[in-house]
Amino acid sequence: MCDHTNKNIYLPYLATVAEVIDETPDVRTLRLVFQDEKVKENFVFRAGQFAEYSAFGAGESTFCIASSPTRGGYIECSFRSVGRVTEELRRLEVGDTMGVRGPYGNSYPVEEFYGKNLVFVAGGIALPPLRTLIWNCLDLRDKFGDITIVYGARTEADLVYKRELKEWQERSDVRLVKTVDPGGNGPGWDGSVGFVPTVLGEAAPSAESTIALVCGPPIMIKFTLPVLEKLGFTDEQVYTTLENRMKCGLGKCGRCNVGNVYVCKDGPVFTAKQLKAMPMEF
Amino acid sequence: MWPPKKGNHSGLPLPLRPHMQKQITQQNLNILLDSLIKEGIRVVAPHMNGGTPLYEPLTCSADMNTGQLPRRSAKEAFFPVCEDIMTYEKEGQKVTVTDIDPVRFPETVLVGVRPCDAAAIPVLDAVFSWDYKDEFFLERRRKTTIIGLACTTADDACFCTAVGLSPAETKGSDLFLTPLVGGGYVCETYSDKGEQLITNHKELFSDTGGAKTLPLAQPETGKIDLKKVKAWLDEHFEDPLWDGIATRCVGCGACAFVCPACHCFDIVDEGTEKAGTRRKNWDACGFWKFTHHASGHNPRDGQPKRYRNRIMHKFKYYDDKFGQTLCSGCGRCVRVCPVGIDIKAIIDTILNSEC
Repeated sequence: MCDHTNKNIYLPYLATVAEVIDETPDVRTLRLVFQDEKVKENFVFRAGQFAEYSAFGAGESTFCIASSPTRGGYIECSFRSVGRVTEELRRLEVGDTMGVRGPYGNSYPVEEFYGKNLVFVAGGIALPPLRTLIWNCLDLRDKFGDITIVYGARTEADLVYKRELKEWQERSDVRLVKTVDPGGNGPGWDGSVGFVPTVLGEAAPSAESTIALVCGPPIMIKFTLPVLEKLGFTDEQVYTTLENRMKCGLGKCGRCNVGNVYVCKDGPVFTAKQLKAMPMEF
Repeated sequence: MWPPKKGNHSGLPLPLRPHMQKQITQQNLNILLDSLIKEGIRVVAPHMNGGTPLYEPLTCSADMNTGQLPRRSAKEAFFPVCEDIMTYEKEGQKVTVTDIDPVRFPETVLVGVRPCDAAAIPVLDAVFSWDYKDEFFLERRRKTTIIGLACTTADDACFCTAVGLSPAETKGSDLFLTPLVGGGYVCETYSDKGEQLITNHKELFSDTGGAKTLPLAQPETGKIDLKKVKAWLDEHFEDPLWDGIATRCVGCGACAFVCPACHCFDIVDEGTEKAGTRRKNWDACGFWKFTHHASGHNPRDGQPKRYRNRIMHKFKYYDDKFGQTLCSGCGRCVRVCPVGIDIKAIIDTILNSEC
């Protein structure tokens, strides 16, 4: 839903914080409900799109929309508080007002995935951009084949959406492989120990009629792509999302480009084929 | 949507061939500007602000001083260094946001604009109007009449001729002035807006009587093959050249701030817990923080990578996207660089490289 009716493209919608969930000691999820009834009804987005979230007085930050488009009435964002804006967003309590501009960018071609198996591969704080799609697919479960989720973080404490991991683990129609880096496991840890690319290789999902969706820090993506290749995935079968620093989200402010590709407009969702055609500047 | 159609994105009229040619004396030009000011029209022109030549609103035509190239370009008449985009007020858990309506911008006449500055303005239309429309820029464009002024002098840094423009380039001008021997100007119109201005004040203009125009400036740089530069850039994202030219770059961003075509910006809130303003401020790809991620990762983690982006954006990326070059050869970046980085010399190096 682009702001074509609004002459000022930088003007945010107002949203109320409806719920605050602490994912890890420094990662928080906010559930937001638009204050304007019309916006609430008409705010349509697709999995993979992002928004600019503002804490008035501090500024705007860019995060994906972490909730699923199949669940209306609210959106969610998850963020680590590391800077001025995110620390200010972290201070917000239930009932407080924040700003949202969006949705921006392209999205996962979900309809093209119908009938296929899906393998989600995520590391650390990079689960939110896949979580939107995971729930999108789980809410339309019969449209997809096998669903595998490989998710890892440095330590148990760094895993986000713990309650949902538990839910996915308990579901018979999802295969969850969770892992922590060596040394990151506590005494009661019931998952794997090892880096995400290695654990993915061990889990060895079949590439046949399968789409892989990868999101993580650049280093994880770098080591995950060869593993997928070895498993037989072509570059067209692999999707990722890029996250660069952004300000406008509208293809104007000039900072999120990787070569001549604007992540905010041409992305954030890219296939591995598109990724490999870009200069190494991400 | 993507890819954008190359060409005119803004819906603004493209410059036409001159369809009216008149003459105006310096005195009558001053009368024209003063009457515009009196009508409540914002007249922006080069003038001396404490010893610094800048394009700024005039209160009186006598303040116009076209003797020197202004320190910053004319783009700020459309895209200010710092501009309010909304205000907010907080009361308890409630926030009220007030829009800043672009419609409020005043009718403006931008006069005495150098060809390099005027030519860069329609180039910026592309980025501010493709897909999402930045009405802050576009509304000012609609409300502004640009009166260009031919250059009769050039310095060592000028290189408009290298990028295919000239001291008499009329691109971007609604009305174009060429100085006459003995004072006054030949005045050509290139748009309806320009023609309207003459029609509304026709008593101040006379027919051209064959008076001689002053000889134009002759920048010493010959035309360069921009296609060849781009072809090299297409293949040399990784190249020792970047380390060679930009290790000394101190990342001050001055080149971007004086550039008529650089358009990167930041969005920041300035204010208190209770109330404040959201602003769009000029930014520069030379700053380390420009692309710095919250995680600490920085895709352009060194000055050579940042400088590479500057050159790539000007001569390749913008061309890839919009079919235009983001440089009009004003030479300001050459003049202000504290460490003597010379964009012309870089282009020469590229053109002279083997492959």
